[in-house]
Amino acid sequence: MTQTRAITLNALSLYAVALVLTAAFAAQFMLHELPCPLCLLQRILFATLAVGPILNIRFGPRPSHYALSLLAAVAGAVASTRQVLLHIMPGDAGYGTALFGYHYYTWALIGFIAAIVLLAAILLFDRQFEEEPAVPQPAGGAFATSAVWLVIALTALNVISTLLECGFAACADNPVVYELLKR
Amino acid sequence: MEFTALFLAVTIVMLVAWFGRRSLALALFAAGMIACVATYLHHATDTLKLSF
Repeated sequence: MTQTRAITLNALSLYAVALVLTAAFAAQFMLHELPCPLCLLQRILFATLAVGPILNIRFGPRPSHYALSLLAAVAGAVASTRQVLLHIMPGDAGYGTALFGYHYYTWALIGFIAAIVLLAAILLFDRQFEEEPAVPQPAGGAFATSAVWLVIALTALNVISTLLECGFAACADNPVVYELLKR
Repeated sequence: MEFTALFLAVTIVMLVAWFGRRSLALALFAAGMIACVATYLHHATDTLKLSF
């Protein structure tokens, strides 16, 4: 795999992260389901997954950049596994609405495991690391640049929505109202 | 509040990764991950109702 192709795949992975963050926003605003603390942590770790691809697009692919995303994916898998286990007992309705039979934290666990597998798979291709060691200017063209800005914008929107939801205190375990919008 | 700060931290890491020095982005990423793990451990206090 050439460096150019690797950068294209990294840009695609950023669009995948953007899709996950958009789906989370859709559930939050269309179904009026506020994310719980563990749900927010999983969102944060999905956003953190994007740091590796951004570095790969900016500086060229390096194993250390993929390692950052791997660390974020493992941490995300741990957090989502805990939430799955919290609701695993028979009779527990789970937290929030199920989508295609699975709750969001179960989908998150599947997503983080898929990320770990895909990161391991892309690390198999050594040729991407052999070409130009560093690119001085942002690389990847409009496709990659748009992906980077889309993910940054969605993460920044999460700063605002989380501030509205939690306010300046600790987030509620089962949030039902936006703390800063309460009258 | 801590989750707002974490989202803000990730946004800053992304901006540094895109515009700034690579070493600074790596350092900020490490700090952010440590903060995420600390937040997880702080919130993961409920006993899991499991029976094996």
